[in-house]
Amino acid sequence: MIVIFSNNDNGNLSFFETVANNLVMPIQNGMTYIKNKISGNSTFFQDISNLKAENEQLKEENSSLEKQLRELENIKSENETLKEYLDLTEKYGEYKTIPAYIINKDISNYAKTIVINIGSNDGVEENMTVIGDEGLVGHVISVTESTAKVQTIIDTSSSVSASMSTTKEAIVCKGTLEEKSALKAMYIPTESNIIQGDSIETSGLGGIYPKGIHVGTVKKVVTSQNIIDRYAIIETAVDFDKLDSVLVITNK
Amino acid sequence: MKKVLITIILALVAYIIYFLQSNFFNWFTIAGIKPNLFILLILFIGLFGGKTLGTIYGVAIGLIIDLLLRNQIGITAISLGIVGFLSGIFDKNFSKDSRITIMIMTFAVTIISELISYLANYFIFSINFEIMAFIKITLIETIYNLMITIIIYPLFQKFGYNIENEFKESKILTRYF
Repeated sequence: MIVIFSNNDNGNLSFFETVANNLVMPIQNGMTYIKNKISGNSTFFQDISNLKAENEQLKEENSSLEKQLRELENIKSENETLKEYLDLTEKYGEYKTIPAYIINKDISNYAKTIVINIGSNDGVEENMTVIGDEGLVGHVISVTESTAKVQTIIDTSSSVSASMSTTKEAIVCKGTLEEKSALKAMYIPTESNIIQGDSIETSGLGGIYPKGIHVGTVKKVVTSQNIIDRYAIIETAVDFDKLDSVLVITNK
Repeated sequence: MKKVLITIILALVAYIIYFLQSNFFNWFTIAGIKPNLFILLILFIGLFGGKTLGTIYGVAIGLIIDLLLRNQIGITAISLGIVGFLSGIFDKNFSKDSRITIMIMTFAVTIISELISYLANYFIFSINFEIMAFIKITLIETIYNLMITIIIYPLFQKFGYNIENEFKESKILTRYF
């Protein structure tokens, strides 16, 4: 039975996946909602008198801040016109995205997949790229009507074809077990000069991730006697522990 | 009738464990490592219900986890299935009334199950083989599982004997000999 299941194209299993999802996800959705509510209300039980004093102080602060705000708004508009002059477009402005919440994280210590609350009904398809505010999160591996499974880039079975922003040389970033927000950059060209702090972006090779999405920065370069063996640790731009909302890119 | 009731209860327990694993144990961790209650559940089912029941539950629950969260169907099903099968064999050879043997069994099945999943992932996805990180995670997970076993095994034991009386092929109560 397992042989049939594991060799089957996952598309045929989406019925079973939908059934399993329908059993679990409504409750999981509710739990995530409650968790978010509770963490939002953690400051509810505080001393009222403290709050009154604080209120007075804040009112004063508020008026001074408002003054500052007006000044800043002037600067901001000035800044925006300057940006237009420089023809800077917003970084991910060219992509069409759908926002989604993470409703489930993997239950084991080894896999790092997540489940998001949008699915084929919202236009999500397999292999679509998922990004966070700061950079790349992963890609969609399977979709049901209302949810989608996303393999994050920190999952050990994930590989991202990337390039260094300064030299434009191609590397492959793989997830590691050792750290939760780090990738191992392998197959660094022998003549390449990789520098600490260098920014890493997707290269567009491999057909899943579009080109130019920020992945992270080089944290350290580990060299051994054999230069072919050297690798770099990339600190991901996205903090996967705190990640709770993502964007799915729907056009490539 | 009682068989149906036990099956429903076990399914409910698996359902609850799923939510504990994905919510509660995501922040109630030891050094960022969470336990694996599914391994414990299958171990207990195998111990009290025999290797057939253990294997069936292992494969079924593993398949559901694979469908919900994994990108390759079958790995968790196989590893949990083997846990169920091994538990059935353990039951024939060791006493399940002694805490020490239960802890040794927990230790063994947790390591075996995680090793199988890791090796399967290694061969299928050609992941980097990080032996030290794997040993560290598995050891902490095993210790966490042991701690949970000490707390919940006495609770499960009573229910376990109900499973044993209903599902075991031979009705000889080996625990009295």
